[in-house]
Amino acid sequence: MAALTEPRHGYAVMSLIEEKTKGTFIVGPASLYTIIKKLIAEKLIQIHDDTDSRRKVYILTRKGRDILLQDIERRKGMIYMAEQGLQRGHI
Amino acid sequence: MASNGLAFFEELDMKKLSKKAAKGWHLKRFRFAGYELEKGEAEDVIYNIDYRTLPVDEKDEYFELFAFGGWTHVCSSADMHIFKATPGTTPIYSDAESAIDKLARLAKPVNIVASIMLAISMILWIWMSVSSGTLQHIAQQGFACSLIITVPALMTSGGVYYHMWKSMRVNS
Repeated sequence: MAALTEPRHGYAVMSLIEEKTKGTFIVGPASLYTIIKKLIAEKLIQIHDDTDSRRKVYILTRKGRDILLQDIERRKGMIYMAEQGLQRGHI
Repeated sequence: MASNGLAFFEELDMKKLSKKAAKGWHLKRFRFAGYELEKGEAEDVIYNIDYRTLPVDEKDEYFELFAFGGWTHVCSSADMHIFKATPGTTPIYSDAESAIDKLARLAKPVNIVASIMLAISMILWIWMSVSSGTLQHIAQQGFACSLIITVPALMTSGGVYYHMWKSMRVNS
């Protein structure tokens, strides 16, 4: 979802993830396709431009944006907890 | 090449296709209960299969994504699509969640067939129990014939659920 804060087509999402994780994580095409279909069904993303049927462009919806923000907060909380724990810890 | 039954031995089928390709026999298309191979150059490739109903306007995008991921489309039959890639390519399903979704999609038609066949067998069985004479004889024959399809259909259904259960356990 973070990859669709700006309009992107499917394989731009794939290459962005590969680039950002320095090639340590690559999304399989069938996984990505399944995820795109799911996010559309849940109205978290929408089609931004489908003039090129090979490369449909998707973008986050308002609802998707809210969910993403919630998820960021949740992850921040986890990171904070882990950092605090490590500082207090004995390892 | 005969298939071992995709619901049970999908991985085995894909590995066998790889081995054949290494010997120069390449997958050409699906055939009833198996695959048609074609003689060519020996090639080191891996195969993956996906199950998906593709509306016409989504075909291009779907195959384009696979091509970008390094997977060449080999052949399709109804809702089954086989792809090949060089060894080491990221599998078409890189996470457990979407892999389970794939099995759920496969389970749907399999379950429909299994339920219909089970219903037919049960009706014939009841008929066989209540009727007599020639009618009973016909019902008996019908019941025996229906079992030929019902039993494998139920086994296939079970096979899909077994894989789903296995994937879920790995996931959690």
